[in-house]
Amino acid sequence: MTPYSATQQGAEQLTSLPRIIARRQEQAGAHDKTPRPRPQAIVNSEGFSLYYGDKAGVKDITMDIYPRSVTAIIGPSGCGKSTFLRSINRMNDLIPHVRAEGRLAVNGQDVYDKRVNLVNLRQEVGMVFQKPNPFPKSIFDNVAYGPKLQGVKNKSELQQIVEESLKAAVLWEEVRDDLKKSALAFSGGQQQRLCIARALATKPQILLMDEPCSALDPVATGRIEDLIGQLKAKYTIVIVTHNMQQAARVSDMAAFFCLGELIEYDTTSKIFSNPSKKATEDYVTGRFG
Amino acid sequence: MKLAGRMILDKTFTTLTALSVLLLSVILLVVLGPMIYRGSGAVIFRGTVEFRKMQMGLFERGDAEALDAEIAQAQEVRDAVYRQIDEFRQGIDTEELNEKARKIHREFGGELRSNGITGDEYSELRSLTKDIRDKLEEASESQDKALIRRNIEDVLEHQDDDRLKGTLAAGFFPLAANFSKAVENADLAKLSQYTEAIEQVEDILRQLFGPKPGEPTPALARMRYGATRCDQAQILLGKLLWIEKWVQTEPGKPLEKIKTPRSEQFAGTPLESLPGFVEKNLAKMLRPRLTFYWQYFIDDSYNSHYFGGVGPEILGTLLITVLGMLFAIPLGLVSAAYLVECASDNLAVKIIRMCINSLAGVPSIVFGLFGLAFFVLYLLPTFGLPSQGCILAASLTLAILTLPVMIRASEEAIRSVPQTYKEASLALGASRFRTFVTVTLPAALPGILTGIILSLSRIAGETAPILFTGAVALGPVPKSVFQPTRTLSYGSYDMAVGDRVAMMVPHNQYGMVVTLVVLILLLNGMAIMLRGRVFKKLQGR
Repeated sequence: MTPYSATQQGAEQLTSLPRIIARRQEQAGAHDKTPRPRPQAIVNSEGFSLYYGDKAGVKDITMDIYPRSVTAIIGPSGCGKSTFLRSINRMNDLIPHVRAEGRLAVNGQDVYDKRVNLVNLRQEVGMVFQKPNPFPKSIFDNVAYGPKLQGVKNKSELQQIVEESLKAAVLWEEVRDDLKKSALAFSGGQQQRLCIARALATKPQILLMDEPCSALDPVATGRIEDLIGQLKAKYTIVIVTHNMQQAARVSDMAAFFCLGELIEYDTTSKIFSNPSKKATEDYVTGRFG
Repeated sequence: MKLAGRMILDKTFTTLTALSVLLLSVILLVVLGPMIYRGSGAVIFRGTVEFRKMQMGLFERGDAEALDAEIAQAQEVRDAVYRQIDEFRQGIDTEELNEKARKIHREFGGELRSNGITGDEYSELRSLTKDIRDKLEEASESQDKALIRRNIEDVLEHQDDDRLKGTLAAGFFPLAANFSKAVENADLAKLSQYTEAIEQVEDILRQLFGPKPGEPTPALARMRYGATRCDQAQILLGKLLWIEKWVQTEPGKPLEKIKTPRSEQFAGTPLESLPGFVEKNLAKMLRPRLTFYWQYFIDDSYNSHYFGGVGPEILGTLLITVLGMLFAIPLGLVSAAYLVECASDNLAVKIIRMCINSLAGVPSIVFGLFGLAFFVLYLLPTFGLPSQGCILAASLTLAILTLPVMIRASEEAIRSVPQTYKEASLALGASRFRTFVTVTLPAALPGILTGIILSLSRIAGETAPILFTGAVALGPVPKSVFQPTRTLSYGSYDMAVGDRVAMMVPHNQYGMVVTLVVLILLLNGMAIMLRGRVFKKLQGR
């Protein structure tokens, strides 16, 4: 497939939201006609609010995120999507004067509890950022960074983890001969998949993705989306995206945030085809936002 | 029209900037060119046989047999010069002449008696020698050339007298001949001045060729050898050929330098041709040869840099600089890391930052005095060490001097590491310290190395801070960090302002300065190469 035709195809996909929804509903129907019983939630938020000083980043969020599924968080800019996402692995701690209220639990453990071990939490909850941000080190060192933090010192063990992670991120075939090469020498899409591999190397349960495709071209975006589809089988994925087509394509559940509040949270097909709130409908149909 | 105007402005700007760059390079060339030229003269020059003699004597370097042969060859020609001078001096030294004549007369009597000559023959010979003695005495005290000639002729008539042959009295004739040769054409009124003039000539010759054979070896190393370099020899030759005098030609006018040929001083005497002879045979007497004295960079010096090299200075400079950097780098890095990563933006931190910025502008002598007061006078005695300037105190002072530069450069470097790197590391579960050490620091390394380069060049060349804290102009090579050391910067300063001996050897002064410049360039080059490699590695090329 030439880059051009791939781009064209990607562009076609991006413009036809109703078609995506229809296709996905068909797929879902084909696989499993009876609704499955909901499994136990892995992330559990109850009345969670986060304040930057006096200003609220997110207010009173109550939602459950289910394991081995893709949950998309959509909403206009500044609505608190990323804030909520970053609350799950407490990356917001970097910002001074942050204060949390309510309860936000991962595997039943309140992450804002004072006794929580940040290192363990962040290794359980991996994160992929908006811009590909590999370290200026070799591919191997990038992926081995997490396992080394966990205390893995054995060279062959590290080798194995790196290989597994790169394979899981569908990057192994492209870089297997260049493991010693600096990560910065690769393309943006490859770098982002490397970042995913790096996050996977710590063997997390949850993978947080903060607009992982916003800095990538449609071909690379397509690859990442495919990858997300594959990773769903083993990991719980929470993805923040501005791109509603993307949310529709990849996610099982979708949450619509607006002005720091959770407006609606339901299955993706319901959010995109039959939302119960007026604001959600306006947003997904493009009348607002 | 508007476009044309803009293009003219654009062109003018380009020309002006190009011109200023050109001007800068010309200035650099004009300033550095002669310095480097003269400085390289310390290493590459035309060395004389005296240089090789000095190398053998002080450093035991060279081929002893070849050197001896060379010295012998040179000495042959030099001896001719010395002989001329000796003959002339004997000729004009009337007091000595008289004394010798009297001595010969006196001792001749004894000789006659011991030979068993008595009676008439004895008294006849005695009166003959008395007559010769008196004639010589009369001639030596006379100003009348005709009388002198007549008397000398009278004396020399007896040369063929068989009775005097082989006796002490035969000693009269060389005396008379020498005297007549010396004064034949000389200005008799000047006779007393010749002694002084000869002393001057001999002094110059001593500087040219070293002490005369037979003279005791001087205690000072620099007196033991003559001109070791061709340029030095040329200057001395100039002094031999010309007499320089500062004369006031008109009242109220500044003094003027007047050069007169030295041969005029000896007009009419056998020495008149001596300067010319030396000039003609200088190459034979000194045997100059192009010399590459690379040992300049390892040799110790003798008699405050009159001979030898700058080995201890290079060693001291490297020691102080490297030790200073060893103190400054960790301190600077930790401070910078604190300011960027840990400190909140409160008043105290603002004041600290302001202090660091102002410290960067404090004159270095202030740091030197601080180092003297704090390290040398307070800290060293506190730890039971002698309260003297030492390498440790000097390098600590230099570290403090360069700390502001180090902190600011590192701070900028650490600050410019993208936040996303840190986030990625933290999101993988790394602690903040771990993130700093494994991600931020390597990424900031090129910037930090820039800071190190700036600091390195600064402290390697600093003089004022080590003036009181650890530098000496002369002294042994240090054996521990608690001893003072010689450094290139302080050595250059001292040679330029304080050391009269060093002023006689400008090539060594320039050599030291150029060595310092080259050393700093080398250190910088190494750091720049290192930075390039780190940068390349980070960029993945």
